[in-house]
Amino acid sequence: MNDELHEAFLDLSSTLTGYSRFRLLGTGQADPYLSTTREAVGEEVLAELLNTYTDVHRDAGDDEKALDTGLRARILSDRLLGPVARNVIKMWFVGTWYELPQEWRDVQATRGHDSTHVVSPASYTEALLWPTIGANPPGAKAQGFGSWAAPPTIDAP
Amino acid sequence: MPAPIDHAAAARTDYDVLVVGSGVSGAIIARSLAERGLQVLIVEAGPGEELSVAEYETHLTRFYGAAAKDNNSAYEVNPNAPMPRSPDVRRLQAGHPDSTSYLIQNGPYEMDSTYTRVLGGTTMHWEGKALRMLPEDFQMRTRFGQGRDWPIAYDDLELYYQQAERELGVSADVADQTFYGITFPPDYVFPMHSLPQSYLDTIIARDLDGTVVQLEETERTILVRPTAQSRNSIPNPAYDGGKGYVPVGAVSTHQVDQGDRCQGNINCVPLCPVQAKYSARKTLSFGVRTGRVDILTQTVASQVHVGADGQVSHVDYQAYGSTTSPEHVTGSLRATTYVLAANPVENARLLLASGLPSSSGLVGRNLMDHAYLLTWGLLPEVAGTMRGSQCTSGIEDLRSGDFRTRHAAMRVSIHNDGWSWPTGSPYTDLIELVDDANAYGTALRRRVADRISRQLMLSFMIDLPPEPSNRITVDGRYVDALGNLRPVLSYSLPDYTMDAVAVSRRVSRQLFQRLGVEDRTHYDPLDPGFVSHQGDGYVIRGGNHWSGTHIMGTASHDSVVDSHQRSWDHQNLYLVGSGSMPSIGTSNTTLTLAALSFRTADHIVSELTTRPSVTIEG
Repeated sequence: MNDELHEAFLDLSSTLTGYSRFRLLGTGQADPYLSTTREAVGEEVLAELLNTYTDVHRDAGDDEKALDTGLRARILSDRLLGPVARNVIKMWFVGTWYELPQEWRDVQATRGHDSTHVVSPASYTEALLWPTIGANPPGAKAQGFGSWAAPPTIDAP
Repeated sequence: MPAPIDHAAAARTDYDVLVVGSGVSGAIIARSLAERGLQVLIVEAGPGEELSVAEYETHLTRFYGAAAKDNNSAYEVNPNAPMPRSPDVRRLQAGHPDSTSYLIQNGPYEMDSTYTRVLGGTTMHWEGKALRMLPEDFQMRTRFGQGRDWPIAYDDLELYYQQAERELGVSADVADQTFYGITFPPDYVFPMHSLPQSYLDTIIARDLDGTVVQLEETERTILVRPTAQSRNSIPNPAYDGGKGYVPVGAVSTHQVDQGDRCQGNINCVPLCPVQAKYSARKTLSFGVRTGRVDILTQTVASQVHVGADGQVSHVDYQAYGSTTSPEHVTGSLRATTYVLAANPVENARLLLASGLPSSSGLVGRNLMDHAYLLTWGLLPEVAGTMRGSQCTSGIEDLRSGDFRTRHAAMRVSIHNDGWSWPTGSPYTDLIELVDDANAYGTALRRRVADRISRQLMLSFMIDLPPEPSNRITVDGRYVDALGNLRPVLSYSLPDYTMDAVAVSRRVSRQLFQRLGVEDRTHYDPLDPGFVSHQGDGYVIRGGNHWSGTHIMGTASHDSVVDSHQRSWDHQNLYLVGSGSMPSIGTSNTTLTLAALSFRTADHIVSELTTRPSVTIEG
């Protein structure tokens, strides 16, 4: 795994999900998700996404508003990069790679592994949506007998 | 666990009873008979090599990795013994049956109910609600002029309900479950105390208790009650005259620290990961330990043969080695008594495929299932949705009353799993927030929590009386990979039920108004199950409570089985399960069919013990 790509993917993922790099690494899913993205969109698109993010981040410095503006202008509204970025968010939250929009597939003539699939059984149980709502992924990591009788613990970001 | 028996050995053995199907009815009858000295062979069409935790966990891993997490997603696709799967159901075009999946939908209404063909049957994916039927449910014709009466009454089943509650490990408190005619003996307690109600339940109860609902001339005051569940809770030391109750945990040949209590995995359907929920595997494992129960899996009963004397003479089987190949061997199995416990669809399918429609012609007819209307919205406060077991409370007050002469009764469940059933939440919420609301980062986290943790979903489970036109048939054009005829379903809902659907929508609006819930209910005309009634459209979902296809009655001309679930036509054949039920009221069917299974087991023992060749032990 290329360290630079790996670091850039973690930085991008942290911004997109609202979770710290530390928290993301704790899931053990950074490498599988980077590989899944590469297999689906190819090396070139992946590199363009990560390089663009690195540029946006550098240009924004510590200015959060500028980061948001840059991210929306140069990635999220970009015809090529936007759908991929949104897929990365969804992958972190539920562990599923969703097939890219038809328009994207037509333009890219993708031959990658782009069909909707759960990255792995572990990516399901490590998905971030559940801790986001103070719950556990159904079928795993239960909170214990009677835990449901108390109000949920939701960490407000 | 004894070494598994092979087909050749089974064919050489003189069994007292052959049971087709390893689900809850077959398992209870097999265990009950074996404990009283009878030799039993169970054949199961689906896979399942051993009753071990490792095998169980293959189902769990399959579920984790499944992109579509429907109620059969934990179980492998098996063309040799296929099962209906809800994502297969499509909107029908009038006059065009859909034969693209195992269950052929002949219409006019689509039905998305399923069952599970694996060792342990549909109790592998059932949710675990364990409700007794109301006494009035047994007298629908006499009391309300609707449907059919049972040949037996609540009081005839009460003792068997107690046995079922022990076997299924029911957690509940008598004070909560005593309503609308349901009675218990004075000193009765359930095996385990009630599961704690969810935080969501307490919010709903706080604002709903005391609400008055009008159903025709019947006035009902709402009380949110804990639901009786086959799920391990805290044992009640007063159980069984003070002997107490030991919860049955994970099924295994060695000690496993799983399943002694529900942990709140919120995954009862399609699979409890720790086996805190009852499945028939628990009963099977006790049966096998007697040394008198043999099980053959991947063994499809393909034909029931009747001799000149009207008795069943043998059952043909097909045994396949792999779920990925149709290669199989065939043979015949013999026993003194035969029990078909394959579920109402498969029992009817097998009988019809065997040319045994019964002298009444009613095999496959009178098919029932609960019609479910789902309503959903957002609560004004965070309720911690998506935690607990799938349901911990419900509303029982709409189940009983004279209004049942005019429209069907209904029971309401409060769903801890939010909108997952009607909308596919939380996946669909996430997709919408990311793809359409353009949220990301910390704002996305806040919006995800706000959207999902406030979700409320109510399911209205509505009675459907037996109608001869609702039925399972077979058709030579449709066969599965082994050449067995596939079930063809014809299904519609009478006005009696649809009127209750409309009433349920009205009641839901009233409850949401009382709660301050933002109603987000929406019924899409393109969805399977969409039905128009008096100008309004609804999506009706199935309840997986298939019933009625070998209906019980008092005479052979208008029923298929007697009150002991014995075939009127063939004295050594029993057709068991909810297929025998003449009404389903507003109770999930499993507890009642379990009670019937105990009653039938008693009857089989009494019949067979009159034969001098059988020795009864203990």
